[in-house]
Amino acid sequence: PTLCLYSVTTTNEAKSEGKSELIPTIKFRHCCLLRNQRCIAAYLYVSFFQRQETNWTEDGRVMLEWFNQYKKSLATFMRSLGGEEGLDITQDMKPPKSLYIEVRCLKDHGEFEIDDGTIILLKKNSQHFLPRWKCEQLIRQGVLEHIMS
Amino acid sequence: MFITDIRKEFYDVVVNQRVALLVSSDIDALCACKILQALFHCDQVQYTLVPVTGWQDLGTAFLEHKEQFRCFVLINCGANVDLLETLQPEEDSIFFICDTHRPVDVVNVYNDTQVKLMIKQDDDLGVPSYDDIFRDEEEEGGDDSGNESDGGSEPSGKRRRYDEGEVERRIERQRATREWEARRREILFDYEQYEYHGTSAAMVIFELAWVLTKDTKDMLWWAIIGLTDQWVHDKITHMKYVTDIATLQRHVSRHNHRNEDEDNSLSIDCMRISFEYDLRLALYQHWSLFESICNSSYTSCNFKLWSMHGQKKLQEFLADMGLPLKQVKQKFNSMDMSVKENLREVIEESSNKYGMKDIRIQTFGVHFGFKNHFLASDVVHATASLLESTEKDDSPGDNFIKALDCLSRSNLERLHGGIDLAKKKLMAIQQTVASCICTNLILSQGPFLYCYLLEGTPDVKLFSKPMALTLLCKYLLKAFVRSTRNKRCKLLPLIIAAPMDVEKRTVIVLGIPPESETSDKKNFFGRAFEKAAESTSSRTLHDHFDTSIIELKMEDRTKFLDALITLLS
Repeated sequence: PTLCLYSVTTTNEAKSEGKSELIPTIKFRHCCLLRNQRCIAAYLYVSFFQRQETNWTEDGRVMLEWFNQYKKSLATFMRSLGGEEGLDITQDMKPPKSLYIEVRCLKDHGEFEIDDGTIILLKKNSQHFLPRWKCEQLIRQGVLEHIMS
Repeated sequence: MFITDIRKEFYDVVVNQRVALLVSSDIDALCACKILQALFHCDQVQYTLVPVTGWQDLGTAFLEHKEQFRCFVLINCGANVDLLETLQPEEDSIFFICDTHRPVDVVNVYNDTQVKLMIKQDDDLGVPSYDDIFRDEEEEGGDDSGNESDGGSEPSGKRRRYDEGEVERRIERQRATREWEARRREILFDYEQYEYHGTSAAMVIFELAWVLTKDTKDMLWWAIIGLTDQWVHDKITHMKYVTDIATLQRHVSRHNHRNEDEDNSLSIDCMRISFEYDLRLALYQHWSLFESICNSSYTSCNFKLWSMHGQKKLQEFLADMGLPLKQVKQKFNSMDMSVKENLREVIEESSNKYGMKDIRIQTFGVHFGFKNHFLASDVVHATASLLESTEKDDSPGDNFIKALDCLSRSNLERLHGGIDLAKKKLMAIQQTVASCICTNLILSQGPFLYCYLLEGTPDVKLFSKPMALTLLCKYLLKAFVRSTRNKRCKLLPLIIAAPMDVEKRTVIVLGIPPESETSDKKNFFGRAFEKAAESTSSRTLHDHFDTSIIELKMEDRTKFLDALITLLS
């Protein structure tokens, strides 16, 4: 935080008084800030997954509570983006290459409704060419398999 | 009805709809399916692909999907039976049928609304004209209304005169109707008597891709495999094969010229298709030359390799070409370059001396990367073995998926796996043929030859599948014709039966036409089986799309055969 404050004041100074010698300083502080950001992110990431492994069995309640909080804040965040409907950032974990994908059904799943109301029968070994966003959930659940030919 | 403009009447119609693809289990259908899938991916047409193995599967698949789909595309199924009668669809369902089975059922031909046939009309169809088989209702109702109008209130004198005239006309009409119906029966009998195959479905769909200018080398390769499947499984005449090869050759040249224009030649990883005038030795580049010669029907039958004499002749043949046994028995790729260099010409020259004038056949090969070179027939054998794999835990659905996968270039391990299975299958066929000939298992029943594979025969499980059994049957007949001295028997067709399902105690029965150089490959067993089953009330299942392949209860075998003998004598 203090680093941030220094950075801001220096930037303002540089802008208003044309002190171009301060620019390297600004750049340097910016890099430091970014590095700190990365370190913090890495720490959180590692600690989250470590705790997930260790605490899950021992103190499930704590993790569960944390996870519920996480879900809530994620939902609020998603809603705040992208206008009225919000933006589902859990979709498209990898950059999508096409609108429609070919999927193969690995187990009998019964009927499945897609956006325009039509129903598809997901029977084992049938193959379908469907919109990507509808399939992602089922792919993650292991019902469908993405075929790349 | 027949579609004349495949782009306007088929593709433009389905491109905005969701389509159900019902695909039969044969290689040509799989290839056609791959091409169509690629086109649908291009244009983002949503579809559902369902494999079907027979009429029952087709019916089930239709029932399951009829609520959700209006457009059904049937590949290599549905043309030779009254489809609307079988499936009983709603009025808004449309069926696009791309099927090689002939003859096309007349109801399918003359239905204007729901059945669209993606079949070229110049394909030697011989469909009876409309008036010969369909009659307008009014004319037939004329007989009845004649009777009714007699009860009109007319003065008795007049009525009598009318009556006489009326009666005469009625009798005349009835006679005409009977004559017409008799002629109709005859025409239909002639039309439907022989079953045969038309242009490959893969080629038809490839032509669609070409018309849309969306054809790629992969699609062309699949079209080639589809045609080669028809040749390997003896479904088309040699003339037709050569004609279709010429058609595909034009496409291959067109694709190859595209590359020659560029300054930089294509990267070695790119796919190159080439026309080959190659040896008729199955899988020889993935096997050893010796094994391939022993297990290919052409060479095996010409040398008669099931006999000691034949084996000796083979040794002579190899010696004649100057090929050392050691070289010939090792993996083809490991053979010396000096031996491989002019191999095809050397073999052709020697083969001519030994009476094998057609050891080379026109076909195509594909190269991609340094190691990967396949002939079209290699891929056909591999895919067929995967499709009919009898390994445990393999359902027909699983096999379909595996076979479909192995057609993609990115699934080379699958293809190699298929090639290994194919080798086993070819060896099993060879051994079965040898043992059948040596133990005289093929018996003449009068109008046809008959062979029954007992339950304990090695590898008999492989022959519970239609394509493998067809190959066996064809090799067997060729071998028999070569080995028998009985001139009359050489002209007979062959029926083969093998255990199909041990628990249900059924056998699979298959009939093929007689062996001849100029055979038109037309098979009359479909109708014959139907009639024989009817007349003896044998419990049969005519589930396969090829009517010459049926399932029969073991206990009914004898009476069924007797009925066939009587029918065909």
